[in-house]
Amino acid sequence: MSSFVNRRTNVKIAVGALVCEESILKGDITIGPNTIIHPKASIIAEAGPIIIGEGNIIEEMATIANRLPVDAPEPTTIPVQIIGSYNVFETDCTCEAFKVGDCNILESKAYVGREVELTSGCIIGASCSLTESDTIPEDTIIYGNECQRREMHGKPYPPISQIEFLLKILPTYHHIRKPNIVPTKNEGGL
Amino acid sequence: MSYLNQPDYVCYVCNCGSLKPISKIYFCRHCSKIRCGYCVCQEVDSHYCPNCMENLPSSEVRLKKNKCSNCFKCPCCFQTLSTRAGHVPLRVVPADGEDSKDVKTTPKKVYYLSCSLCRWTSRDAGIPDQSMATGGWPEQENPHTSRINTLIDYHKILASIEKQQSERKKFRPKHPYMQIIYLFSFQAMFRITSAMVRKHIGHPAKPTNESTDQPSPAVASTEVEELPTDIFTEPVEITKITTLEQRLQQPDVQTENVNELRPQHRQLLVRRSQRCRVCEHNLCKPDFCSQSAKFKIQLAAFYHVPEVRIVTCEPLRPGKSSELLLKFCNPTQHQTQVVLLPLDTPMTPILTLVDEKEEVKQDNAQQGSESPNLLPSIVRQVPVVEETKSIKITANADVVLPQNCLILPRRDDAAEYDDTGDTHNFQDDPKFVIWRKGNKAVIKLHVIPHENLEENNNQPVVIGFVMQYRYVNTITTLEHKAPQKLDLKVKLYLTIGNIVGSA
Amino acid sequence: MLRTYEGIRFFSDKQMVILDIGSAYTKFGYAGEPTPRGIIRTEIKCPDTKELRRIYDYKDTEDLYQLLVEFLHALFFKHVVISPKDARIVILESLLVPTQFRDTLAKVLFRHFEIGSLMLLSTHLATISTLGINTALVLDIGYKEATLIPIYEGEPILKAWQALPLGGQVVHEYLMKSLREIYPNVDITEKLVEDIKVRTCFVTTLERSAKLRTADAPKPPPAIKYPGIKSINIPGEIREEAFEVLWDRDNDNLSIPTMILNAIIQCPIDTRRTLAENILLIGGTAMTKGFASRLKSELLTLVKSSHYSEKLKIQTFMFHTAPSKPNYTAWLGGAIFGSVDLPLRCLTKENYLKSDRVPDWVSLIDNQRDESTVYET
Repeated sequence: MSSFVNRRTNVKIAVGALVCEESILKGDITIGPNTIIHPKASIIAEAGPIIIGEGNIIEEMATIANRLPVDAPEPTTIPVQIIGSYNVFETDCTCEAFKVGDCNILESKAYVGREVELTSGCIIGASCSLTESDTIPEDTIIYGNECQRREMHGKPYPPISQIEFLLKILPTYHHIRKPNIVPTKNEGGL
Repeated sequence: MSYLNQPDYVCYVCNCGSLKPISKIYFCRHCSKIRCGYCVCQEVDSHYCPNCMENLPSSEVRLKKNKCSNCFKCPCCFQTLSTRAGHVPLRVVPADGEDSKDVKTTPKKVYYLSCSLCRWTSRDAGIPDQSMATGGWPEQENPHTSRINTLIDYHKILASIEKQQSERKKFRPKHPYMQIIYLFSFQAMFRITSAMVRKHIGHPAKPTNESTDQPSPAVASTEVEELPTDIFTEPVEITKITTLEQRLQQPDVQTENVNELRPQHRQLLVRRSQRCRVCEHNLCKPDFCSQSAKFKIQLAAFYHVPEVRIVTCEPLRPGKSSELLLKFCNPTQHQTQVVLLPLDTPMTPILTLVDEKEEVKQDNAQQGSESPNLLPSIVRQVPVVEETKSIKITANADVVLPQNCLILPRRDDAAEYDDTGDTHNFQDDPKFVIWRKGNKAVIKLHVIPHENLEENNNQPVVIGFVMQYRYVNTITTLEHKAPQKLDLKVKLYLTIGNIVGSA
Repeated sequence: MLRTYEGIRFFSDKQMVILDIGSAYTKFGYAGEPTPRGIIRTEIKCPDTKELRRIYDYKDTEDLYQLLVEFLHALFFKHVVISPKDARIVILESLLVPTQFRDTLAKVLFRHFEIGSLMLLSTHLATISTLGINTALVLDIGYKEATLIPIYEGEPILKAWQALPLGGQVVHEYLMKSLREIYPNVDITEKLVEDIKVRTCFVTTLERSAKLRTADAPKPPPAIKYPGIKSINIPGEIREEAFEVLWDRDNDNLSIPTMILNAIIQCPIDTRRTLAENILLIGGTAMTKGFASRLKSELLTLVKSSHYSEKLKIQTFMFHTAPSKPNYTAWLGGAIFGSVDLPLRCLTKENYLKSDRVPDWVSLIDNQRDESTVYET
């Protein structure tokens, strides 16, 4: 664990991704194409690398952290946190889930703990917190002060237009980190 | 705002016995008495939708069953639904024989309802999208309506027989308004057929309508709903089962399946007006317009009765005297004088200082019985008296009450911004009045908590006194009389703090 | 129809409010409507202590008075939306309601809210309005208790009444106890338990019930994961056994099915068959899955038992279905009954203020032979 904490920041940004300079990135992070990381969003790869897929939006104050619980024993393998594609992490949400699928939305102030697996099309409502070990089935929405659950009719649409808008508008106001890897297989989806 | 969030430190005793802070009491200018939410007559004033803020007249409200026709609430989480525009789903399969190009050339905008909290949409429920934004959403109808209407009609007939019988004195219910006699017993007693019924109530016999008069009686069955056998084997998906709360939102359906939930019309809310029970004058009447926060009539005590606030209090020790500073504020346009009296003072108001002596007597007589400014007697009903509540608070500290009276000048809004100092010249006793500005003054009192109070039993120290204040009733000037000057009294209980240390 | 009663017409401009204040839920609405306007919990936030309190958990008369004032105030202005002053109100009450509650309710309505008139209707009697018949054995299984009164030709057979403290409450208690044993750290509230009961529990069959808690217990139904802030796993055994308390015989060998049989036995012999063939189940607990079928099989087994087979020669039991859901059937009965104009049956404000009491069927004053002394209208 300690070896990772001291590790030099190693951020791989794919071409097409938009990572603002003021974002807080620590550790071994891979960011896929068309993913947008707002200023002051933090991605902390403390316990192991974080791999973020394409077309995600990570808003201000949102935290994606690959960290182990304080009292957890040293893991035998390096835990890798994988975030799929077209997820939205709204302002001030925290995601520590080791696996996040596609098209999920974490609303403002939502908290998803380490032991949770988000499949795809899930919505974690504003200020809902998931701490128990659980796999959230597809298309589930968790909402309200008692974390009520409901199965939705379909997945939320990928935020394509929002991504397009942000790709256009963010560079005009913020310094952007340069992409440093050339995608090998596909060129993003837009 | 502090009045809304703080505990109630200074409580006024209403005439009904309730203890309320000054922000929650009214002052009836016609009776010159304090009233509160408990002892006034509350009435529904106007209806409005909390979402679209539309005002509705009460006749329409009744027609629409007290629901807004435009706003819906989510059947899942009970938030207000918003209308969303969407396009016709792209994968439109053209009907057979129809040219597929035709379909593509007419892109239509469709609307559906969506909840921003739990993301429920009308599409979830399988409600077809609408082409108009304003609605035309399918209404839910109780499947039993016609049967129930038949039953109601039938009961109306039975009731008219009962009425007629009792009017002719042939039959008189043994126990009027007793809850244990049933209408049907009459039918059994007289064996009245529906044709006879109609004769009784003067309706022409309409044989064609026979079936609606006599509803087919319900048929009992030996078959009952069996427990589904798969309940013992099939796993249950809890997210697909509705909660009790969701079911009770639609009492006639109470569906178990989440997908069968239907959006419900938003219930209207009301604005209330308050009326004095004794003189039937309005104490508070809100503006009709739902957007307005103003009042047409607002007789809050805050504008009529001197307000008392606790400034500071020295640490309280049982049996020891502590200084208590109270701030008095005169909200009226007339100078007032405040006298503090012990709790056991009789509470009758004293009428003073009216120009003609004759009028004093007259008014006093009226004052004794009821308010002098009553509405015409035709409108008035016998006031219903409710027992006054017993005061649940007892003073556990003595106050050394001053002999002097405190004169508070009238409220002058302009003086608030005037820093030149007071123009009033009051001969105040500096030991009693320690600060004065405009219509406000701070006085010093001495409080001696009772000996038996202890520090750690968490019992707050409460003092009580009667405040007598001069009130100028200007309502009488409307009736071409001179303004009355009254010395009114109100009981006050103040929670001044906890015991610190022992004696 | 009202041509001969012009005086009443003016009166009927005001809608009649129908209230069924149950021990757990209050059903409210207007007369002549097929559905109640709403069903809310019979509880109110106490203005002094800010805690949520059930109305029926009152301490004394004064406490009840204040609770009812607060509750009815919220009911009138937030839910029913009507000015209570001079309103006409129908209250559905059980014939077995405590006099204290009844009198206090009337006092609050007349003295505090100044309502115009009050009609008190018996729950069981009003319920048969929904059927269009005049003979039925009405069993009301609510939250606090199950009550039964047979009605024959519109006349309640009062001597055959039955009441047992069986209803939603005992089921909640069982669930609460069982779940607290499994999850000592989770805050198991009654609201949670109620939701679990409604969504997952059911009344099992008689055959399976006999084998429950024995060595060869049948395979329990699947467990359910109940999500929330803390997710709870509800074992199949609990789902199946939750309602068993309603069927277990108590110390006097009484349970829900014996209530029906005992009531029938106490009725005159010529009415028994008709009553057994006109059973109506009302109350929220009667809506549980499998409730009616279990009741039927229990009844059929019981009549064959030695205890009943000599006294009762009944082979069939027939059940009615009201045009409503059982939890508001009594309300609907009131709504149908209340839609008719019966000033004779209403207690008016003037009469109440004059006599300062509510007529009661158990009171001797209201049961005197001399009719002229009873309140004239």
